[in-house]
Amino acid sequence: MKKLIASIITIFIVANATAQIKFNLIVSAQPPAQLSEWSNRREVLTVVVTALGVPPGFQYKIKTEIKTLDGTVIGSADLARTPIFTPNSTGTDILTANDVMPLEFMLFTGKYKTSLERTGKLPADNYTICVQPVRPVDFGPAGEVQCKNFYLATTQLPILMKPYNEEILDAKKAQTAIIFRWTPVVPTQPSPVKYRIQVFEVLPTQSPVQALRSNQPLLDKEILAATQYIWQPQLTFMPYDNETKKLPTFIWTIQSLDKDNKPVTQTDGNGEGRSEPIIFFINPDKDRKPKKEN
Amino acid sequence: MRKKIITGGLFLCMFAATSNAQEINDSLLLAKAKDKVKEKLQVSGTIGVTYEGYGLSRSPSGWTGYQPRRPWNQVRFNFTPTFNFGKNFSLPFNFNFAAIPTNFAGPYAGIKKPSFSQFITNPMNSFGINPKYKWAELQLGTQYLKYSDLSTGDIGVFGYGFDLRPKTFLFKFFTGISQQGINYVLGPPTVTGAYKRKNWMAQIGTEKEGSYLFAFNIAKGKDVPTSAAPAPLTIRPQEGVVLSIVSDLYFEKGIYFKAEGAQSTFTKDVATPLSPVLKSLKPFIEAHTSTITDYAAQLAIGKKGKKLDLGVMVKYLGAGFQTIGYPFLQSDRLDYTLNTRINAWKNKMNIVASLGQRVNNVSNTALKAKQFIGNLNWFTQFSDKFSLNVTYNNFGFQAASGFNPYGIKNVSNDLGINPTFTFTGKKIIHLLSMSYNYSKYDERDVLTGLTTSNNTHTALLTYVPTYLQKEIAPDFSILYFYNDVPGAKITLATLSAALSMPAVKKKMRLRGQLQYTLGKLNSFSSSNNLIASCNIDFKLTKKLTWATFLTTNYFKYGNEILPNGANYTETSCRTGFQYRFDTKKQK
Repeated sequence: MKKLIASIITIFIVANATAQIKFNLIVSAQPPAQLSEWSNRREVLTVVVTALGVPPGFQYKIKTEIKTLDGTVIGSADLARTPIFTPNSTGTDILTANDVMPLEFMLFTGKYKTSLERTGKLPADNYTICVQPVRPVDFGPAGEVQCKNFYLATTQLPILMKPYNEEILDAKKAQTAIIFRWTPVVPTQPSPVKYRIQVFEVLPTQSPVQALRSNQPLLDKEILAATQYIWQPQLTFMPYDNETKKLPTFIWTIQSLDKDNKPVTQTDGNGEGRSEPIIFFINPDKDRKPKKEN
Repeated sequence: MRKKIITGGLFLCMFAATSNAQEINDSLLLAKAKDKVKEKLQVSGTIGVTYEGYGLSRSPSGWTGYQPRRPWNQVRFNFTPTFNFGKNFSLPFNFNFAAIPTNFAGPYAGIKKPSFSQFITNPMNSFGINPKYKWAELQLGTQYLKYSDLSTGDIGVFGYGFDLRPKTFLFKFFTGISQQGINYVLGPPTVTGAYKRKNWMAQIGTEKEGSYLFAFNIAKGKDVPTSAAPAPLTIRPQEGVVLSIVSDLYFEKGIYFKAEGAQSTFTKDVATPLSPVLKSLKPFIEAHTSTITDYAAQLAIGKKGKKLDLGVMVKYLGAGFQTIGYPFLQSDRLDYTLNTRINAWKNKMNIVASLGQRVNNVSNTALKAKQFIGNLNWFTQFSDKFSLNVTYNNFGFQAASGFNPYGIKNVSNDLGINPTFTFTGKKIIHLLSMSYNYSKYDERDVLTGLTTSNNTHTALLTYVPTYLQKEIAPDFSILYFYNDVPGAKITLATLSAALSMPAVKKKMRLRGQLQYTLGKLNSFSSSNNLIASCNIDFKLTKKLTWATFLTTNYFKYGNEILPNGANYTETSCRTGFQYRFDTKKQK
């Protein structure tokens, strides 16, 4: 009887030790630079786990490493604290960034740690992510390593160039056409960026950002992949306001959208993909200068 | 809700006008009893209501190629009196609100039927009361408080707080709500939604106006994750704290020194797990895996004088620097500019210039991008008859583009020359102003490396006769605009005439304007645009004015769009009454 029990235990240990979990790692080639954003997007990182033939109750952990292209490990999972997984009854699991790269258990080194603490991002570069199933007790391998390369660079929103901040435009010219220019989204996106240009009138009782958050835009136009727009305002600009001593004031911004009409970046700044707005004045009377607090 | 707002607003106007009359009577009585009562009530300020109407007619029927750009109807109210009780106590009101929400950007975008709390905190409405006794001010309701350039300043918060300034000391505190929870709506129209955001801010420091300022600021904002259901799809609940130290020093001979250093700790998604490896800033904020801590600083040194202003400004914003008080701030940049203003030749020559550079990606998390900035405005009054203004602006932007073989390079150059001639006759002064602008915009294709040039020429001639013995003031202008980019050539020619004159014994000021623009795109047939507008400012009494602005815009496309002959007419009207009261002046 003792021999039988010993045999069963031996078979169980051997089966566990030799059981193989198969990972299929899928990583977006250019994932969001903000690492915490990976967990919100299933398409960024997926691991398909196949665990056919493993004994019941088999468990594993995921050893995750992030490396530079020369193989230097810059971040790895703290295996003592990462969660333990049990294959489900169908033998196939789908795991996401939350499971594979839990940031609360990831340890980064040197400048990468500093960068992550300050910005939530790694320095712009090419990286490799490697995942491997390991046994929970001795962290020995329970399957093969899977690696994928990806490229990280923060998406920079356009910077508004023209009219520049607080530029005073001649009303006679502005009535016919106003040229708007901005810098493109950097780096170049996989699909052409839609630049939604919006111009808001700032009422005398409003601050510029208040106007942007309150008013219906006088111009609301989507421009595909171009960084200039010539606007024919078709407006008669209100004359100089003698009560408030303010020139007719406008605030403009660009919202950068992807092919699905979603902001190209949702984690930076306002989350709306809107560039920092700037104001310009229309001067119907050359002798008038805007009040400074405008 | 809308009817209630309009009714309430009108009631407020009527009540205020009535009570104001009563207050004027009271004030007169108080004036008579001046010897007995030291304290007296004075009221000054304005109250008004403005209606805005908009109409759009498109042809052919069913064509939607041009979208409305104003609310069909809008009523705005303003009530901004200040009650002064004696020398030391004042009670200013700042009520500005509108009946119909028109939010297109920000947390309230798309909202149509706001709840009462959403109406109160909507950025289009302000309800502020700031009672002040000597150096102590209580801040109630909507407040737009700017503590400093790097802490808080752009956001209106509805709440309560104080601003105490005993001697040279500063003690400020304010807390409230900057946005209410707004549920996501798929639509159409889509409502992005928002989380309720609570704000706190405080400042301690010392200040002597025109001499120095030292202050420590703290500003915090925190979203309530359960405040929106369904929750917004693209926006995460956030939390952030900014600490900053500000120092301004003003010396003799116009020399100044301004500096601010700030640290932000910001959680981009409070739904992410708590992190034991990241630094918390307890008790203000606890670190999650999406928490970042970064720094910002700005410095300005310069000298201001009658003939010469010279200043240097440096601004650094770390890539992870983020503050709830400036939601649109673009971080990860280093700006440095040299600014100058020169008055010479007995103030007949005025030069304003700035030169600088913006470097993006200081933290190396993005591709390096550099932007060169140069501006010049040079005005010279050569004689009583002739003046010349020259402007030059340059913006250059360069960055790597990722996987593409060529980097991004965009350069914008603008040159403007504007001579003005004045001829004085016995009855009339003729002003002839000419203006020419050349604008060149070069853009490099990141795949081919080829640079395309976008050239724009603008020429404007303005004639303004000033009649010395008549009250009418006309002006005429003609403008030519030409833009040439590969594949598209746009030509616009505009004729404009305006006339302003007094009427009804100078109680009314009239101004009318007509503008016709002929446009042409490539070889398509011409587009036509006619705009007529009219301003009527009528001073009904010494205190009551009625201002009206009417405009009509007709635009007919050429055959560059389908259907051929598409056109639209839009009309807008803005009319409102403003009652200005000042019991002090009345006496």
